[in-house]
Amino acid sequence: MGWITETTASTPLEAVLGQRPELLKRYRAFCQTFWEDGLVPRRTLELCRLRIAAIHDCAQEWAIRDGQVALNNAEIAALKRGELTTFSASEQVALNIADQIPYQHHQITDAQITDADRELTTAGAVSLLTACAFFDVNCRLRIVLDIEERPAELSAPPLHHGALA
Amino acid sequence: MSTTPRLAPASPEMAADFGSLMSHTPNTMLRFFETYAEFWQNGVVAQEVKEMTRMRNARITDCGY
Repeated sequence: MGWITETTASTPLEAVLGQRPELLKRYRAFCQTFWEDGLVPRRTLELCRLRIAAIHDCAQEWAIRDGQVALNNAEIAALKRGELTTFSASEQVALNIADQIPYQHHQITDAQITDADRELTTAGAVSLLTACAFFDVNCRLRIVLDIEERPAELSAPPLHHGALA
Repeated sequence: MSTTPRLAPASPEMAADFGSLMSHTPNTMLRFFETYAEFWQNGVVAQEVKEMTRMRNARITDCGY
């Protein structure tokens, strides 16, 4: 039971954000670009999204998975614990930034940004930083609004059958 | 409180600011500004309240921009 009167949308997040239908429509289209533009590997986006969910202890976001990214149990456990050396060097560059976005964004160094620029191109680095910032936003929204936890495997995250899951 | 972007602008002619940095991802930038415009131009929350919360959020997160 959340704090906001829900609309009849098909997913818990949209049911709340649906109080502002036009805002929801535009926000959904905005979030979709992280995957649509393909500037950051899909697996990297999924790792960063889940790492930020783990830091926030956001069960609602953690319960959602990208059906096209197969993470094994060891990788999922490592994300939960913040053991980032489990992942490739390139993934670690992104994950180290994601790791600091929620509560340590001022501690992200010039070297980390340079590494992201080198690994992903400048456009990719901008895309990654924007995506991480809004993964953080989505966790905060889910937690503060007490949005229902509903596990989902998505075909095109963050969209699930055309809705924000 | 730094206000100097750490990545180059999308074009050397551009000043290094939020817009020129986001220009690296034009699709994302367009959709972001469409969302932001809807947030600011419509809704039931007064502009003054939105502005107050924006400034308070900037202060708490120590964002000089």
